Amino acid sequence: MPLNACPPVAMLGHVTKAYKGRRVLDGFDFALEAGQVTALLGPNGAGKSTVAGLLTGRIAADAGTVQLFGLDPRAPLARARLGIMLQAGGLPETLTVAEAVALHAGYFARSLPTSDVLEQAGLTDLAHRRCDRLSGGEARKVQFALAIAGSPDLLVLDEPTTGFDPEARRAMWQVVRAKAEAGAAVLLATHHMDEAEALADRIVVIADGRILADGPPAAIKAQVAASVLKLRTRLAAQRFAALPGVVKVETVGADLAILTTAPRAALEAAFALDPAIEAFEVTSASLEDALANLVTANRTMKEAA
Amino acid sequence: MSAALIAPAPAVYARESWAEIVKSARMPQFIIPTIALPPAFYALFALAMGQGSAEVATRTLATFGVFAVMGPALFGFGANIAAERESGQLELKRLSPMPAGAQIAAKVAATTVFSMVAFVLLYALGLAGGVVLPAGRWAALIAVHTLAIIPFALIGLGIGYRLGQKGAVAVANIVFLAMAVLGGLWMPIAVLPQAMQALAWTLPSYHLGEIALMAVGKSDAANLWLHAGPLALITLAAALFAWTGERQQAG
Repeated sequence: MPLNACPPVAMLGHVTKAYKGRRVLDGFDFALEAGQVTALLGPNGAGKSTVAGLLTGRIAADAGTVQLFGLDPRAPLARARLGIMLQAGGLPETLTVAEAVALHAGYFARSLPTSDVLEQAGLTDLAHRRCDRLSGGEARKVQFALAIAGSPDLLVLDEPTTGFDPEARRAMWQVVRAKAEAGAAVLLATHHMDEAEALADRIVVIADGRILADGPPAAIKAQVAASVLKLRTRLAAQRFAALPGVVKVETVGADLAILTTAPRAALEAAFALDPAIEAFEVTSASLEDALANLVTANRTMKEAA
Repeated sequence: MSAALIAPAPAVYARESWAEIVKSARMPQFIIPTIALPPAFYALFALAMGQGSAEVATRTLATFGVFAVMGPALFGFGANIAAERESGQLELKRLSPMPAGAQIAAKVAATTVFSMVAFVLLYALGLAGGVVLPAGRWAALIAVHTLAIIPFALIGLGIGYRLGQKGAVAVANIVFLAMAVLGGLWMPIAVLPQAMQALAWTLPSYHLGEIALMAVGKSDAANLWLHAGPLALITLAAALFAWTGERQQAG
């Protein structure tokens, strides 16, 4: 089958969106494929929620094309295939968990049986608990249950595991992975790099309304190829800021952690600065560091331009 | 394809309405003031203070029926919509394939049910207090009391779309009391100062109370349009108030 026979699940074509005169997106192109978990990463105000809002029809674009399953995202037929977990999602306080799930599932013709939804969301034991008597993490699980209740072809999750313990987090990740393997597209907006790394097939980094990187997690890390240089020195941290390729310098306990794109040159320069360095260590940066690196590099380039 | 994806609308309307009724029925802070207050006041004002007068019992029943509708309509729509909007529940529903009218229809259904519970209690007290009406007048009274839901529900909606939960409850309370007192539902507006009597003409509660009095034969039905006309205009204004509020929060 040729690739173009499979239209994207959702797409933004050359979209422009401004809030109060401030352009959040400017000629933005983006598409989501079926069967993939796509993580949207970036600092606050980068345009993540705008992208998610446009694709789900919460926000209207100023210019450009927005399509969900080839339709306007506000079309009932598009919404019938969409499952959303909003960041701030209240629940009907006096309904039980099972009642709330059954009510929401009832909007969809392809809904899963309530007992299946509760089991997948890890809520079987709480089925008859009233929604106003749930903890924060439990309420998040109910919101996740509402998102999957209609067996959506696109699942949009905004910071899904806030308030979860590690076990509950892994359990939800497993369900999300299973949904993607069964063919659903998943859009994940998260601040947790480990979540993106564990879950995503594709990571899209955005900052200031532009895509800075787009690819599998390993490629994103390789693209920036940043390293962390750990030094034990008596010199002040700011003296190392001018080393080759340095993105940021942090004090970690008795050591300095220097994020750099040129670890070898930086290490040599560090020894030139302080021949009395007691210990050093070079490791490859985490995804979180790689992301910080990308964003900072983008800002520096913009300022220089 | 569409048939396979979207749930049949009548079933969604029915489930949404049932959920709305269950939700409110489990809130004592909603049920007690909205359902118990009007019959309690009626027993006190009309029956105990009226000293067994069937005339007082009948007149008061007509106006108190309007009073009984205001609680569920103003609080059910105003305060509940505000709470659901603030918590994000409304947005999640809007992003689902739920038909747009289902939520409003469900609230109308719940308000009607709770108003009717309040009427039935009132009517039972009225009968016990000596109210005697022919079947036609009962039917007319029930019709007026049921139609009274519309303007108050619209006002409640307009408040609920504009204010947060706390603000909506406070404003609904003020509107509730003002409508009752200045609209002559508790006692005829003739006992109020002249300036306040003029104000009554702008209130749906006053016109509905007068029309309810006509229904029970305690006011001249020849004057129907004198009250039905202003009431229609006020209802139209309330609809505009609700609609602009909806646009404002959806946009």
